Parts: sequence; structure tokens; C-alpha cells
Amino acid sequence: MHLMHPHRDTLGTLYHDHQPWLQRWLAGRLGCREIAADLTQDTFARLLGGRDLSCVQEPRAYLTTIAKGLMANWCRRQSLERAYLQTLAAAPEAVAASAEQQALVREALHLIDAMLDGLPAQARRVFLLAQFDGLGYAEIAALLGLSLSTVKRHMKRALLGCLLHAP
Amino acid sequence: MRPEPPGAEAALDPHVLKQAAEWLLRLGERDASDADRAACRRWCDQHPDHARAWARAERLRELIAVVPAALARPVLERPARADRRAAVKRLGGLLVLAPGAWLGWRLWERSHGEAILRTAVGERRRSSLADASTVDLDTDSALEIAFDPRQRLLRLQRGQVLVATAADPQRPPRAFRVATRHGCLQALGTRFNVRVGADATRVDVLDGAVRAQPAAAGALACRVEAGQTLRFDARRCGAVAATGSGVATWTQGMFSADALPLSELLDELARYRRGVLRCDPAIAALPVSGAFPLDDSERSLAMLAATYPVAIERRADGWWTTVVARRDHGPAPRR
Repeated sequence: MHLMHPHRDTLGTLYHDHQPWLQRWLAGRLGCREIAADLTQDTFARLLGGRDLSCVQEPRAYLTTIAKGLMANWCRRQSLERAYLQTLAAAPEAVAASAEQQALVREALHLIDAMLDGLPAQARRVFLLAQFDGLGYAEIAALLGLSLSTVKRHMKRALLGCLLHAP
Repeated sequence: MRPEPPGAEAALDPHVLKQAAEWLLRLGERDASDADRAACRRWCDQHPDHARAWARAERLRELIAVVPAALARPVLERPARADRRAAVKRLGGLLVLAPGAWLGWRLWERSHGEAILRTAVGERRRSSLADASTVDLDTDSALEIAFDPRQRLLRLQRGQVLVATAADPQRPPRAFRVATRHGCLQALGTRFNVRVGADATRVDVLDGAVRAQPAAAGALACRVEAGQTLRFDARRCGAVAATGSGVATWTQGMFSADALPLSELLDELARYRRGVLRCDPAIAALPVSGAFPLDDSERSLAMLAATYPVAIERRADGWWTTVVARRDHGPAPRR
């Protein structure tokens, strides 16, 4: 019987055996049952069409690895939303004219933020100064007290990170 | 861990992406010259993967152009991880603050590649959406369907779409919007054609009206009525003009030209065929008229050669086609 859909079958067993546990684990970390339930679903959704599950030795370790990644994404997005609202509150002139526009700006911010994820703070700063403030590499070097070649190295690393993770 | 959009194209060689990053770096220098830009274009033309890598670079530039500088650095340079961990502990409060943000995130995650209509070069397709609206997707186009409880949103990533909206079955009715990289169109009526290009988006309103909002902060919106056409980029709306005749005949596989410069007609035909279709600059401005079949661009070219003083030169098994001035027989009789 289980030869019919070995992957789905394993996934079904995995879900049955570990879903309540994973949800409790996430709820413990997040302090919120609804979000824990959503992220639990997302974790199992990730497994659909994923790699062969029958060779997973430590299912709970595997599930928590995925869940941690989703949780990190979620936290990154939350902190961005918060920073966005704070910035708007502090500088209302930056508010886009319409709701649609704001939605586009926020979407772009989330995408760029995801692309820059994992980048060292210095490289991130160089990238932002160059791309958004329009500073030249030499100007950035002077501003941050770095050598020109270091600025370019940071910049290249940031650009490569963006291209690697572009949507 | 980043979400990988399902159905993504084959992964690009990191080495190619590294080269693309080097080009971006070079072109970002203060002393970047036209020669550098030309060299970059040559690199893009060298290999389809180079072009794909460069498309990512262009996408990055577009995203950056959308975000006002005043917002970018405070938001993207917010305090990092330690603070984010603390944020988890304050979740209760955050949820009160930003339920919409949570919803928005989930919709984006879900919508990623979930429902994208794509057409191949030379293909056209009509589809019905969940709300009974219909979309005609033109050749070589990509349209993302991102309906949610608040709005019926389509993202035209590439190409052209003719939208015929239906009344929303949900109460209260949701707004119907089409977004492109240049801005957002809100349907106030029922039928309109949207075409996204590299530099601008064009909307032709056939019935009702559409409100166009360029993406840049502070840009003024513009209302386009039936029978009107508007071009806009991310910064501003152009002037509203009368819609050309036959603007939607492409859905029937015909392109109608009314004293259109030859080069523009050829650009239109080129979208439906593989290979390169070029126009001799000497005759680029030649005004041409007629109804040209899009699905049989060879026939369209033959029609041109029969009607106008032009000849068709083919090289590399038709992959490289150039329309040139006809020299041997003098001008052919006009229709």
C-alpha cells in the first residue's frame, strides 16, 4: 500500500507524529498560538515536493531547522514593518501619496531586505549609501573611514548577495 | 532560509552572477563611460545566462527606484538581530500594531509563483479568473494573480494584457488593480489594455475609466477615460492621448497600423517571433498602414515587401532578418 505514494505516505506519518509537537515548540518560542499554527502549516507545506523524507533520521531536528528559518523570515518582516511605521511617524513627508503606492514601497522594502539578509553591517551600509543616497565609492570611503578598495569589496559582496537572492 | 519560488527557472551559475555584480559595480562608478555601458551590453548579448543575470540586476535597480531614500536607510538599516530576537518576546504587542502587516507577508509568501500566467513567444491565451473577470495575455508575457480578501491584484511582470473585469462576487466588492514595475492601475470601469515596457507602462482604456498611479513617492495620479491612452513611468504620467484604432485587435491575432513608423511595426512583429528582426535605419520612419497577421509574421513581412519599397533580407536560417530599402526596382506602387 505505502508503495503507492511513498513520499506522501511518509509526510502523512511525519505530520501525524510531529505536528502537535512542532506547534507546541513554535508556540513556546513565539508566545502566540495562531502564528505557531500558521508557521507549523508552512513548515509542512515546505516538505511537499521536497526531498525524500524516508531518509530523514531525526525528523524533529529536521522540522525545527525548517521552522527556525520560517520564524527568522517572519521576525525579519515584523521588524521591518515596525521600522517602516516608526520612520513614517518620524518623517511624514516620506509618506507615499496613496495606499497602492505605499504597498509597492513596502513590498520593495521587503524584497530588498530579504536580499540583503545575512550581509555584514558594514557592507549593508555601503550598499545603502551608494544605492539610495547616491554617494560615490570615494565619498563613502571618506565618510566611513575605509579604503576605496574595501568599499568596493563590500559593494561587490552586497550586489552579489542581491543577485543571488533576487526574486 | 529564503523561500525559493516554486517553478523557478534553472539556477544561474554563481560565476555568471559574480560577473553581473562586477558590471553593476563598474557602472556604479562616477567615471563609468558609454564605452563601459556598451561593453556591458556586449557581455549581456554573449550568452542567454548573461542576459538572465542582467535581468536580475535590472530588477534590483527597479526595486531600488521604488523606495524613497528617506525611507530606505532607516528601515533597511534598523538595528539587527539582537533586537529581532527581543521582538519575538514582544509579539503580543506587535500583533495589535500590525495585523495587516502579518496578512501582507503571508499573501506575499503564498503568492510567490503560486499563480503566474505565462505565455511563450507567439502564444496568446485567454483565462478566466476566480471572480469571472477575463484576461487575454499577449505573446511572451507573465501575469501574476494575487487576489486577496482586500483587493483583486494582478501584477504584469512582462508583456501585455487585456483585462475585462467582472463585478466582484464578494461583499463589499474589492478593488481591481493591475500593478507594473512603473505603478499601479485601478480599474474604475471594465475593459482596458496594459502593456509594460522597459521604460514605461501604457494603458489603453476601452470601457469605463482607470486611475494610474506612478510608483514613486509624491507622483501625481492620473485618470484615463474610455477612448484614451496614457503612458507613465515610475515617476510621472505622460499626457493623455486618444487611443489608436485597433489597439486591442491583437487579441484576434491582428495588428492594425495607421501610418505607423515601419520600425515600430517591426518591433511589434518581433515580439511574436524568435530570432532578430531589424529595420534599416534609413527607412525606420517610413509610415506604414494595414492589418498585419501577428501569428504569421512571415506573411506580414511579405505584405510589407509587396506594398512598400522595402525588401526582406534573411540570414542564419531566418534568425537574423533585416528589412531594408529596395534598391533594384525603384519605389513600388502605393496602395
